[in-house]
Amino acid sequence: MTAERGIIQSVERAARILKALGSGQARLGVTELSDRLGIAKGTVHGLLRTLERQELVEQDRDSGKYRLGPAMLQLGNAFLDGHELRGRSLLWADSLASRVTEAVRVGVLNGSNALIVHHVFRPDDSVQILEVGASIPWHACALGKAIVAFVEPAHRAELLAGELPRLTGSTVTDPEALREMLDGVAAAGYAFEDQEAIVGEVEIAAPIFDHRGKPVGAIAIAGPVERLLSAGPDEQLVSAVKQVARNLSRDMGAGRVAARGG
Amino acid sequence: MDSAFVRSWIRAAAEDVAAHRDYLTQLDAAIGDADHGVNMDRGFTAALAALEDLDGGSPGRVLEVVGTAIVFKVGGAAGPLYGSGFRQAAAALGDEETFDGEALLRALRAGLEAIQRLGAAVEGDKTIVDAWLPAVAAFERELRSGGSAADAASRASVAADEGAKETIPLQARKGRASYLGARSVGHQDPGATSTAMLFGALARVARGLPA
Repeated sequence: MTAERGIIQSVERAARILKALGSGQARLGVTELSDRLGIAKGTVHGLLRTLERQELVEQDRDSGKYRLGPAMLQLGNAFLDGHELRGRSLLWADSLASRVTEAVRVGVLNGSNALIVHHVFRPDDSVQILEVGASIPWHACALGKAIVAFVEPAHRAELLAGELPRLTGSTVTDPEALREMLDGVAAAGYAFEDQEAIVGEVEIAAPIFDHRGKPVGAIAIAGPVERLLSAGPDEQLVSAVKQVARNLSRDMGAGRVAARGG
Repeated sequence: MDSAFVRSWIRAAAEDVAAHRDYLTQLDAAIGDADHGVNMDRGFTAALAALEDLDGGSPGRVLEVVGTAIVFKVGGAAGPLYGSGFRQAAAALGDEETFDGEALLRALRAGLEAIQRLGAAVEGDKTIVDAWLPAVAAFERELRSGGSAADAASRASVAADEGAKETIPLQARKGRASYLGARSVGHQDPGATSTAMLFGALARVARGLPA
């Protein structure tokens, strides 16, 4: 690895160790980490001991292998708590989910992705995976489209010129078609996605604005295509999500004009 | 091979899915909604019921009925994917009353193409494609080297099994599992596993064919 100015190698290495431990293989030994990351065993050991003192990693007593420590959870939660939008959306998202009996997600734009910062499970007894932390390319989900439809024209153009990966056969990847879609979203005040991120799943989202009238995120109802979509998106769901987005925008300080989408 | 062969295949597949229902659900619990086993079982049970109601029918018609039952009964991504896979395989078989190994290869390939069109998945994305694609390739290789349809089905089954196992170290790039990012590594893909069961059932039924 070439050294960059101002980059502290050991900190970078410690971060790479944490990321490796954060992958699917939850427990790794010193040798495995050394091989995988190309860092000498002695160095890996020292880094792990240091991280362990900070409770960022912990060692399994039986196997001697390392895994992420409890301090990581606190950091992850602290990151989420730092989102004003997330904090304000908790109650709204809960009530929306129970009203429509579907899953609700709150997302913000992070680079070219919608980052899920809050997820309320569909209120039935089914097992569901927590999608908080998931990143979905903006053009493939309603959350992303609802936000991007209202960003500054230059920002929108930049995103349209960027990479637009195909996630399913239904993902729209043509910038011109997306531009038209965004104009439609801006006019209608909500965005809709038909199996563009995951086969069988659709999403209806409405943007949330702050006191400057800028889009800070979006809230969405997500669920199976057979329940959310007949000829078009279910009207009642659309109006429910728009109403909640308006209320959330007001909570975020948006004026009446900004909390649009009526 | 005829429509009785196709019916036997679907019955064998339904048995395998039912027997491994909890296993599939368990795999899905790690990286999905923990419903794949239940979903597939419901779909194949519905397919068998639909076949009960179908008098006769060409091999293509039988597969079409199976595909339609699966589309309507299996939730999530698996329903549309398997459903369209079976329906396109059915279309490839056409109205003929019998079919040979070459026709079966075309049908399996048409199924794969339908699944890839719908899901835009390629090999290595940790999906159904990771089992179905090598199975079709192995089926074709065996036919080309002079093997029978039964030999080809048997090779395809082995390849599908291997493909499913090889999804374990992969990071999912398609479907809900991709939301887990690196956390999807280390788990076998439930879709690839159920696909391996379909090919396993095909091989078993094909072994009963006259040589």
